[in-house]
Amino acid sequence: MRTLTGIAASPGAALAPAFLFRPDVYDVPDVPDAEPASGVVQLGRALEQVAVLLDERAAGTAGAPSEILHAQAALARDPALRQAAEAAIRAGSHPARAVVAAGEQFARTLERSGNSYLAARAPDIRHICDLAARAVVAAPARQRPLPDRPSVLVADDLMPADTAGLDPGMVRGIVTARGGRTSHTSVIARSLGIPAVVGVSEATEVIADGQTLGLDGCTGEVVIEPDAVALRRIAGTAYAYRRHRARLRAAVVGGPARTTDGARVEVAANVSGPEELAAALREGADGVGLLRTELLYLDRPGPPTGPEQVEVFRRMRELLGGRRLVIRTFDIGTDKQVPFLPTRPEPNPELGVRGLRLARLHPELLEVQLRAIAAAARSGPTAVMAPMVSTVEEARWFAGQVAAAGMPAGTEVGVMVEVPALALMADQLAPYVDFMSIGTNDLMQYLFAADRRDDRLGRLPDPFSPAVLRAVASVCRGAGDSAWVGVCGEAASEPAWALLAIGLGVRELSMNASAVAGVKAAITGASLAACQDAAHRALCAADAAGARSIAEILLKEQS
Amino acid sequence: VIVEREVKAEGAAGLHARPAAAFAARAATFRSTITVHKGQMVADATSPLLLLTLDVRQGDRVVVRADGPDAHAAVETLARLVASP
Repeated sequence: MRTLTGIAASPGAALAPAFLFRPDVYDVPDVPDAEPASGVVQLGRALEQVAVLLDERAAGTAGAPSEILHAQAALARDPALRQAAEAAIRAGSHPARAVVAAGEQFARTLERSGNSYLAARAPDIRHICDLAARAVVAAPARQRPLPDRPSVLVADDLMPADTAGLDPGMVRGIVTARGGRTSHTSVIARSLGIPAVVGVSEATEVIADGQTLGLDGCTGEVVIEPDAVALRRIAGTAYAYRRHRARLRAAVVGGPARTTDGARVEVAANVSGPEELAAALREGADGVGLLRTELLYLDRPGPPTGPEQVEVFRRMRELLGGRRLVIRTFDIGTDKQVPFLPTRPEPNPELGVRGLRLARLHPELLEVQLRAIAAAARSGPTAVMAPMVSTVEEARWFAGQVAAAGMPAGTEVGVMVEVPALALMADQLAPYVDFMSIGTNDLMQYLFAADRRDDRLGRLPDPFSPAVLRAVASVCRGAGDSAWVGVCGEAASEPAWALLAIGLGVRELSMNASAVAGVKAAITGASLAACQDAAHRALCAADAAGARSIAEILLKEQS
Repeated sequence: VIVEREVKAEGAAGLHARPAAAFAARAATFRSTITVHKGQMVADATSPLLLLTLDVRQGDRVVVRADGPDAHAAVETLARLVASP
C-alpha cells in the first residue's frame, strides 16, 4: 500500500483498477531495426502517408481550413525536412527519432526568428513530424481514454478532446498529475459527478496499469493497493457520499427552487453535450444555463458544419423538453486552440483575441453557428449568449448578428459578463439584451489581475471578496427590470455564495451538475429578505473572510 | 543556362505558409535547380520550410535564380507568382 496526496477536485470516493492513459508515449527502439537504406525508404513512406492523410482531410473541408491543411501536407513533403532526417538516419538514427529531431531543429529556427508569425508555424512542424514518427513505428494516433470496464483513469493531464464523451459508468474516478481546482479536468469531473484528485505529480510514474486504486475526492487522498483498513474506509466514504447525494436529490428534484418567501430561482447546469445534460437532469437541474459549444470545434481539421451542430442542439432540446437551454457561442482562444483558426502567439492570451473577439474576425463561422441555434430554437425555449464581451457596442453587434440569423421570436439574446469594463456599464447594456450571465471565473481573474491557473495566486481571486460582490451588485443594479441576471461561474456552486448572489438580485444560477442539489436545498430553506440583508452587509465587509462568515452564518441559520 | 531576376513580392502574405507551399509546388515541376535569395539568405525553391525561414513579406525584393535546361521558363513562371498580388 502507498498513499499519494493531491488536490481534492471533485467530491466522492472511488475504488477500482487503474487505467493508465498515456497518449503522448509510444515506443521507439534506441537502435534502428534496419539498415540506413531501408530506414530512408521507411521515412519516405511515412512522410508521404502523413501528406496524403492531410490532403484527404483538406478535401473534406472547405475554405481557409482546407488551404491550411494543404499547406501542412506540403510541409510533410518538404525536401529540406526529408534531407535533414535522411542525413540523421545515415548517421545511425532510428527513422522515427531522425524525423522528430529534424523537425525540432526547423521548429527552433522558426521560434528564434523573432517573428511571431514564423514562430507560430513551429507547432505545425512538430505535429507533422510526430505523425510521421508514429507512422514509422506504427503507433496508434492519440486515442480517447475509453476503458471497457469500471476503472480509475490516471493521466498526466486531460485535454478537452479527451474528456468529450467520457462515460461515468466506466470512469469511476480520475487522477491526474497536473491541474488545479479550476482546471479543465476538475470542471469536467464535477460536471459528470466523477470523483477526482488532481495535481498528484508522481501519479503516472508510480501507478501501474491495473493496480487497485482508492481515491477520495473530498480529501485529495489516493491509495495504491489499499490494505483491508483503507479499503473499508474508502468504500465507506463512497457509500456515505452516494447516500448523502441521493437524499439531497430526493428533496429537490421535480420543481424549481423557491425561497421561503416565494422568490423563484432557476438552478441550471453548465454542460458540454447531451451526456452531461442527462446527468444534470438526474441531479434536478431546471435547465441548461451554459452550453459550452467549443468542444464541437476541438480536435478536428475543420469547423463543424451547420447540420452537425443542429443535430447536437436538437438532442439537447429533446432531453430538456420545455426547460430553457442557454447556448454560448464558441469560446475559442487562450487554452482552447483549433487548427483551422491559427492565431498569432500572444504575449498575454487571456487578454487577447478570444471569445466574441475571435468570432468578429470570422463572422462566417459565427453565422453558421447562429443559424444552427435558430433551427434548434424552434423546438423549445432557447437563449443565445456571447462570451468575452467588453463593450456595449460589441453586445449590440452580437444582437445584430443574432437577428440577421433568423432567430425565431422569443429567443432570448444575452452576453456573458466577464470583463470588469462591461460589469460597470450594465445600465447602458440593459436595453440591448434580455439577460446577462456573469462568468465569475474570468471576472475574478480580470478584477484581481491574477491568473487563475497559477497556484501561487490561488487565494487572491476569492469569490467572497467584496470586490467580486460589488461587481455582481453593479450588474444587477444596471440590469434593473429590463434584463435578468444569472451566474454561470464556479462561485455559483457554493451554497453560501449562491445565497448572497440571490440577495444581490441574481435569479439564475448555473453550475456543474454535482452542485445542483446542494444549492437547491440551500435556496429552499432561505428567505429572500434574509439573503438581501446578508448581501448588503457583505458588500460592506472589509475582506473576503468577513463576507464569507456573513454568508456562512446566513446558510446555517436558514437551513 | 543560369537565369536570375529580381522581383518585388506583392502578395499580402508575402511568401508565408500557403503562398510558400504553392510556390514550392510550382518550383518542383521544373528540371532546373531553383533558389530564392533575399539579402544574404538563400533557400531551395522547392522547400516550403526553407522559403518560410526567408520571411519574405509584401514589398520585399527577392531574386529568383534557376540553373538548368528550363531556367528561362522557370524564372518567368515563378517571378510572376511572387509578383502577383
